[in-house]
Amino acid sequence: MRVKDGILKYGFVGPALIFLIAFNIFPLFYNIYLSFTDAELSGGATQLIGGRNYGVIFDDTRYSTALRTTGLFVVLAVAVELLLGFALALALQKPFWGKPIITTILLVPMMLSPAVMGLYWNFILNGHYGVVNQALSVFGLFQPQWLTDPDLKLFSILMIDIWMWTPFMMLIALAGLNAIPNHLYEAAAIDRASRWTIFRRITLPLCSPLLFLAVLLRTTDALKQFDLVMAVTGPNDRATQTLSALLYQVMFRGYKIGLGSSYSIVILLIVIALASIFIRYIASIQAKQGRESA
Amino acid sequence: MKYSRWLVIIPYFFLATLPLCWLLLTSLKTQEAAISSTASLIPSTAENIAPGDLSFSATLDAYRKLATPHTGKAHAFFHYLLNSVIIGLLSTLTSVVLGTGCAYGFSRFRIAGARDWLFFILSTRFLPPLAVVVPVLMMYRVFNLPNTHLGLILLYTAFNLSLAVWLMKGFIDEIPRAYEEAALVDGYSPFQAFYKIILPHSATGMAVTAVFCLISAWNEYGFALALNNAEAVTVPVYFAGLQGNIQGIPWPQIAAGVLIFVVPIAVFTILVRNHLLRGVTFGTIKQ
Repeated sequence: MRVKDGILKYGFVGPALIFLIAFNIFPLFYNIYLSFTDAELSGGATQLIGGRNYGVIFDDTRYSTALRTTGLFVVLAVAVELLLGFALALALQKPFWGKPIITTILLVPMMLSPAVMGLYWNFILNGHYGVVNQALSVFGLFQPQWLTDPDLKLFSILMIDIWMWTPFMMLIALAGLNAIPNHLYEAAAIDRASRWTIFRRITLPLCSPLLFLAVLLRTTDALKQFDLVMAVTGPNDRATQTLSALLYQVMFRGYKIGLGSSYSIVILLIVIALASIFIRYIASIQAKQGRESA
Repeated sequence: MKYSRWLVIIPYFFLATLPLCWLLLTSLKTQEAAISSTASLIPSTAENIAPGDLSFSATLDAYRKLATPHTGKAHAFFHYLLNSVIIGLLSTLTSVVLGTGCAYGFSRFRIAGARDWLFFILSTRFLPPLAVVVPVLMMYRVFNLPNTHLGLILLYTAFNLSLAVWLMKGFIDEIPRAYEEAALVDGYSPFQAFYKIILPHSATGMAVTAVFCLISAWNEYGFALALNNAEAVTVPVYFAGLQGNIQGIPWPQIAAGVLIFVVPIAVFTILVRNHLLRGVTFGTIKQ
């Protein structure tokens, strides 16, 4: 295979790499340039204005609010999804009648379009005719205004996100659980270890590398939260404005792309930091797999 | 303890699937029945049912109305569905073709800095669409690409390449090198070896990769919203645009449209169920 592969190999990898550089590296650097200008979406003359955009960020309470909203959203969404997903995976761990079909059906929500399902959830959560509130009224319970109460809007978006992404955690947790060798459980049974001890000393530690991977993937994804916010409240709602929603508001409703670019640099830095943790982690897992199979 | 698992599974299963069942029921209702303050649960063939009854008269009207443009919209739902199909299929095709070639290159040849390149490819997946979309839009303006199908196809190809390369590399790595070596001994050129040996053996991998690329292009919203306002509007952008409609949101039609839009995805999910884990972790975890 090593013969005459000089040009051929670049023929294989080249097109994809050119594509990725054009659509990722170029925008990244162009973004940095734009962040030092007063560029507007409508075009027209653009001037370099130095670091003035960055000065504005720290006076803009929208930005700090959006940071806090995004942070809160990411932490709550990932934590609840992890706990629920892990609980489901534990319940689905051992084979039983109907397990494959139940597992598959549970996985469907994560493959659906967040923008479309977010719109549809407006219907379910509507304060007047929504089925959730009607069900609550049957039981004589309090009926919250899920979509209009400023204290509840973010919670509603969180709920939809949990509905969509708990299956993701479940899927990865199940893979972790399936990979635990049975002889460990057998040895624990011989030692008369309690269920709690087995869980704490075998299940959890052996599952945690994959759970960590799942948390990293979900975190980078939740940080970008945009689709559900747009569907439920639109981009300019104080109570739910995530960083991506703020970017959209500033750049596509306010036409200030220079300013928007400087806002995006911070979100990019966070995402790049998380992505590099993820990548190092993957590299270490792959190195381990390599050693095991060698 | 044997039955304790059901204490977790049954309530969750019930709550998680309820919205999807409600979707089906809503699509069979009239607008009045859908936004009635007493929800009806049972579809019935009877014509006149008193308000407040648990059953409602089922109708396929909502599906029929999808063929005519909604108030204030230039086209009917199916027009936007066609946009989604064209953009989804063509971007999937190009990502799988480019991704397979690239994965093969990294799998079989010695390439300088291969690890760094691969991780660079993976990292592109993490960029938030809204943080990179403005430069893409500026670039597109130069080439007259905003508002075109081609613009979204190229963008989704780039967006999905990371997934395609990583998934395909996993699949190609699993094909024994001995197969190609035997072919080379038989006088095949390296490219023929790729074409006649690797491609047939990675058919499953390509199918799985295609499904995941198609789903992420199909569901994408941020880029599609920012780059389009007229010509190549996809279904997610179309639906989102119905928010705040003056005549009230036509929920049965939306439910019918959502159903038509998500059923293919649900079917694909079930078809690739054994490869889901690979797909969502970029091939880094194999079952």
